[in-house]
Amino acid sequence: MPQLDTDLAAVGAGLDALDAPSQEQRPSLRKRFIRTAVPPLIAFALLLGVWQGLWAAAFWPEYQLPSPASVWAAVAEAIETGRAFEVLWTSVSRAVLGFLTAVVIATPLGLLIAKVRVVRAAIGSLLTGLQSLPSVAWVPAGILWFGATPATIYFVVLMGSVPSIANGLVSGVDQIPPLLPRVGQALGAGRLAAARHILLPAALPGYLAGLKQGWAFSWRSLMAAEIIATSPQLGEGLGQYLHNGASLNDISMVIAAIFLILLVGVGIELLVFRPLERAVLRARGLTGAL
Amino acid sequence: MTATLETPAAVSDLDAAVTLSGVRKVFGHGPAGVVALDGVDLKVAPGEFVCLLGASGCGKSTLLNLVAGLDAPTSGTIELTTSRPAVMFQEAALMPWLTAARNVELPLRLAGLKRGERREKAGELLSLVRLVGAGHKRPHELSGGMRQRVALARALASTMGSAEEGTPGLLLMDEPFAALDAITRDVLQAELVRVWRETSTAIVFVTHDVREAVRLGQRVVLLSSRPGRVVREWSTVDCDEPAVIEDITSHLREVISGHAAA
Repeated sequence: MPQLDTDLAAVGAGLDALDAPSQEQRPSLRKRFIRTAVPPLIAFALLLGVWQGLWAAAFWPEYQLPSPASVWAAVAEAIETGRAFEVLWTSVSRAVLGFLTAVVIATPLGLLIAKVRVVRAAIGSLLTGLQSLPSVAWVPAGILWFGATPATIYFVVLMGSVPSIANGLVSGVDQIPPLLPRVGQALGAGRLAAARHILLPAALPGYLAGLKQGWAFSWRSLMAAEIIATSPQLGEGLGQYLHNGASLNDISMVIAAIFLILLVGVGIELLVFRPLERAVLRARGLTGAL
Repeated sequence: MTATLETPAAVSDLDAAVTLSGVRKVFGHGPAGVVALDGVDLKVAPGEFVCLLGASGCGKSTLLNLVAGLDAPTSGTIELTTSRPAVMFQEAALMPWLTAARNVELPLRLAGLKRGERREKAGELLSLVRLVGAGHKRPHELSGGMRQRVALARALASTMGSAEEGTPGLLLMDEPFAALDAITRDVLQAELVRVWRETSTAIVFVTHDVREAVRLGQRVVLLSSRPGRVVREWSTVDCDEPAVIEDITSHLREVISGHAAA
């Protein structure tokens, strides 16, 4: 019955063509740029306008509300003298190193909490609690333990970011549909192979959310530590730059420092985490949020 | 489990792919325990297509899990002379982060095959289920029927990955077409029979659809509910199909109505 067989193939192919979800066309690069880059630029311009207006109305004295131009002058000066790059490099390299260390610690920790019941019962809620503890609270303890050294700064960064990353991984693992691990078992995956080939990739969206939050926490904790713990041993990071501005009563410098801190935060989010998240979610067909 | 698979010579009954004797499965302990299966004896010959039929609560899925080694029987023995049984579920349960081809490769990868070999085998299996051009697609880009065919190819790959040459395969299917629309189901049933003929693996197919069971299986085994026991068997080779369907349906109704009083 070869005739019947080809009929079946044709029917199957027809069904495939009819039932397969239609592909959405990606909008052109220009359209995407207009859609994603223009609204925030307009918002920023509006903010600048309001700021300029308030300054011009002179509600507050100059030492409280500087003009946008004078803040820009402070930033420009820091860039021209090369100080901005030194300061940025000091802080960003610390944050990245701290963050990567946190990833190395938090990933096995998160897996343990997610998969071993005793460990979860023992330290699961502690970890969630730690997440709500502002990491600035660790600065005094860190100074007493390690002195005003980079060790203190890294300690504070780790205390800030490890819980977020581990918790992200735990919730990622918790949200895996239970059928997937069972399929893995049926396909012949042992415990380790299942973790590598099924658990981790299935938990990736949650893990990535944890990483994103972990980065935010590590950057935040770093700034807190740098603002509070200042010593010649530590060199000058963004936090110290801000601290110096406050000591000099130079509001332009303070605002410039805040601007730079924000710039790094937004920059890393846009350059690293947004594209990563987009790629991971798109591959799984979860394009709703994009 | 694996030990039994690797030493088929030690198994007494070489003419059977699967031998269940006195299999009993109780969930929970003591008086609160629920008996899912009670004294199930079943033999599946190599290359045979057996359909397990029963109403809800007959322990069909439990039985399949036991044979697949995903769960252990409370008492009784299960002997396999096949390679690792492949399992297909009601949902395709493809890994959403892998393409169709990578999904098929996954069991081969877990079995430690080299990349080139994996590609080749996955390609063969995809063409067996008529999905040659769809290997690069992600599960969310496929229709329900296509996903189930990828799942079938993946299940077949999982028996191939663990098999030495010549070991007969075994495919366990847990209502794999129940969630599909009627037209797709009809096509996939025909496809399954075709794949079964081409690969000569034994198939244990669980369903609650009498027509499906009679159409696909060479043998239909009716299970009772709570606890599951084998009630009766029908051979459907060269039979009068409508008559058998009617006979099985009336028996199934009898089994179900027996629960109304209790």
